[in-house]
Amino acid sequence: MDKFSSEKVDVVIVGAGASGSLIAARLAEAGKSVVLLDAGPGWVADDLISSQIWARRLRWGGAPVQSVGGHPYAFTFNAGWGLGGAALHHYGTWPRLHEEDFRVKSLYGKALDWPVSYEDLQPFYDRIQEEVGVAGDAKAEIWRPEGAPYPLPPVPSFGQGEIIAKGFEALGMTTAPAPMAVLTEPYKGRPACVYDGWCDAGCPINALWNPLISYLPRAREAGADIRPRSTVLRVLSEGTRATGVEYINAESGITVQHASLVILAASAVLNPALLLNSASDTHPDGLANSSGKVGRYFMAHAIASVYGLFEEETAVSLGLTGAQLTCRDGYKKDLREGMLGSYQWLIAPAMKPNDLLGIATARADLYGKPLEDFMRQAVNHMGNMIAMVEELPVEENRIELSEDRDANGMRIPRIVHAFSDDALKVWGYAKAEGLAVFEAAGADQPWNGPLGSAHMMGGTIMGDDRTASVTDSYGRTHDIPNLVIAGPGLFPTSGANNPTFTLHAVTLRATDHMIGHWSDYAG
Amino acid sequence: MNLDAAQLNRRTLLKRGALGALAFEVGGRAVMLTAAEARAESLPLIVLSAEEAGLVDALGRAVVPGADEAGLVHYLDHQFAGDPGAALLMLRYMDVPPPYADFYRAGLNGVDATAKREFGRSLPALDEDEAHTLVGMITGGDPEGWEGPPAALFYFIFRADAVDVTYGTVEGFERLGVPYVPHIAPLEQW
Ligand SMILES: Cc1cc2nc3c(=O)[nH]c(=O)nc-3n(C[C@H](O)[C@H](O)[C@H](O)COP(=O)(O)OP(=O)(O)OC[C@H]3O[C@@H](n4cnc5c(N)ncnc54)[C@H](O)[C@@H]3O)c2cc1C
Ligand code: SF4
Repeated sequence: MDKFSSEKVDVVIVGAGASGSLIAARLAEAGKSVVLLDAGPGWVADDLISSQIWARRLRWGGAPVQSVGGHPYAFTFNAGWGLGGAALHHYGTWPRLHEEDFRVKSLYGKALDWPVSYEDLQPFYDRIQEEVGVAGDAKAEIWRPEGAPYPLPPVPSFGQGEIIAKGFEALGMTTAPAPMAVLTEPYKGRPACVYDGWCDAGCPINALWNPLISYLPRAREAGADIRPRSTVLRVLSEGTRATGVEYINAESGITVQHASLVILAASAVLNPALLLNSASDTHPDGLANSSGKVGRYFMAHAIASVYGLFEEETAVSLGLTGAQLTCRDGYKKDLREGMLGSYQWLIAPAMKPNDLLGIATARADLYGKPLEDFMRQAVNHMGNMIAMVEELPVEENRIELSEDRDANGMRIPRIVHAFSDDALKVWGYAKAEGLAVFEAAGADQPWNGPLGSAHMMGGTIMGDDRTASVTDSYGRTHDIPNLVIAGPGLFPTSGANNPTFTLHAVTLRATDHMIGHWSDYAG
Repeated sequence: MNLDAAQLNRRTLLKRGALGALAFEVGGRAVMLTAAEARAESLPLIVLSAEEAGLVDALGRAVVPGADEAGLVHYLDHQFAGDPGAALLMLRYMDVPPPYADFYRAGLNGVDATAKREFGRSLPALDEDEAHTLVGMITGGDPEGWEGPPAALFYFIFRADAVDVTYGTVEGFERLGVPYVPHIAPLEQW
């Protein structure tokens, strides 16, 4: 095929991040002709420069996205662009969701249920962890749902991790090594981690899982045509069939790629934006939107950061950007009076001196000489942890289109987001608990950071009821059988656990289904 | 230090790259310099005016001691001049649309106007204590009569850039006694 051939292919996938890369590898290996388009650069491992400053160019650099509401969502910080997507520089904290996360409505009469259960996904979690290489201690993680033990021994804990763990212990709480998609020993030709704490900038030695390691090379090997710097503008459709996508690339200009199956894997925010921007006479409210739910139930995790200075040396700049340890004693959603929702602790992430999650930002009120004094002490004595708090789905939290247009004439997406009362109350509870843990661990006057947000989920939720959801449990849109959505945008609830392990399990299950029922999809 | 572009061979480029160098134009050729070296060489600015550079220097010094010598002016100027999609500025994380220089200009003007209102002098003419007091006025919210982006946001962003240049480079880590231990040291040929 020519470099920019628009010859009809079996599958066109939009977005070469976590979900798009996995699908490209599986479908290409199943013999399908695949074109994979990504708006951003064609990153390679050598681009992963160890610097919090240079790391910023890995984040979203495409058309603007607006963010409004009571708690505007920090899109650019949370979004990737280019081959690997956000997964190229994600931190690799890979807990599974818990059984109750899939049945929140049935159990608590609030929020939503998934159309699949944990048991449905368990075999896919097990398959993925074997392939990716996940490190952990399944026994020590007393809260972990059923599943095969981790293929790799757990990440070590040291410095701040050991100190903070004593605080949890003093309060009668349990900690366990954080489950990490990080190699603690050599695995499948990849080397073990050296705990230098550069994960936020991407791990060029491949100790931390990312799509450049195997899914993208596998896809390429199997013949997939991967085109970076190709921004999809809209999905084309005729009646109830998607016919392809229109995209723009500096070399080829505006090009149409026809395909039998169109898959959107462009993130939880930009997938619904594409559907809405693909409105036509037949689909005036946007594609796959007969339910009116496209863009709805957008969710983020609320983040409570806790910091403290300890007498002991903490080696805070080393370790993993994700976490050394976890505690999920507070995971069960109805443990706390008057609030519903889970949270987990991610204990002792590595912090470098600068950047949004760096040491200097932890005391953003300091400047001049007091800042310098603080920095000199903190680089050796600071400890930190973060509570990741569930946000239950709320229909008003949404992705919509503004009236403003980008350079390509497309309407600019707008994220409307405010944390619900439940999330704010659980956040407050977790924050107070974190400060108590730090005091018990011996921190001098621990303090907390402002409310933050992480991860993006929902916006194109899956469900059994086609009037209340956008896709079925495989991500196939109810309205258009050859249009599939992939990624955490499908999640009807967020749980309090990082989403990427689950999105891999959901995506792997979907690819099995696509391959096994090809004619239903591409027909 | 007198830098002759022709003297810079690949080895020195690599060495300089390890210090977080950026590509600057010297005599029509791109050379890799750290922001601090660019400042020491008084390399011409592309986007910022001399007056704006004076404001950045003075505010940088007051917010993060050493930021001026670390080359904050040249770092910002270089970022403003490049493709916003490849920008390294913290502003990128705030979902503020480019051109980024506009945000800084408005913020700097806001701070300078406050200096004139409160102290009767422009920011670069303030002494150390006055400059410290002035920064305190913008950390919590908009001071009276403020015009520009939200003062606290401007402070946060400006401070983050100053922290990057002062503490976020290999030299900055060294100054703090933090091991840099990179997989790939900062180096860019753009
Ligand atoms: C700093 C950070 C740390 C994280 N840490 C963790 C962690 O520890 N654990 C965890 O579970 N998760 C983590 N995550 C989240 C994780 O990265 C995401 O859940 C995951 O990458 C989402 O996968 P995706 O396939 O939906 O999208 P992405 O991986 O983001 O990929 C989407 C791709 O689509 C492309 N795209 C968008 N629009 C278009 C268009 N119009 N045309 C063409 N291409 C387009 C983008 O350029 C991008 O490359 C982290 C994220 C960030 C930002
Ligand atoms: S700490 Fe480990 S996983 Fe993180 S970047 Fe370094 S080697 Fe990679």
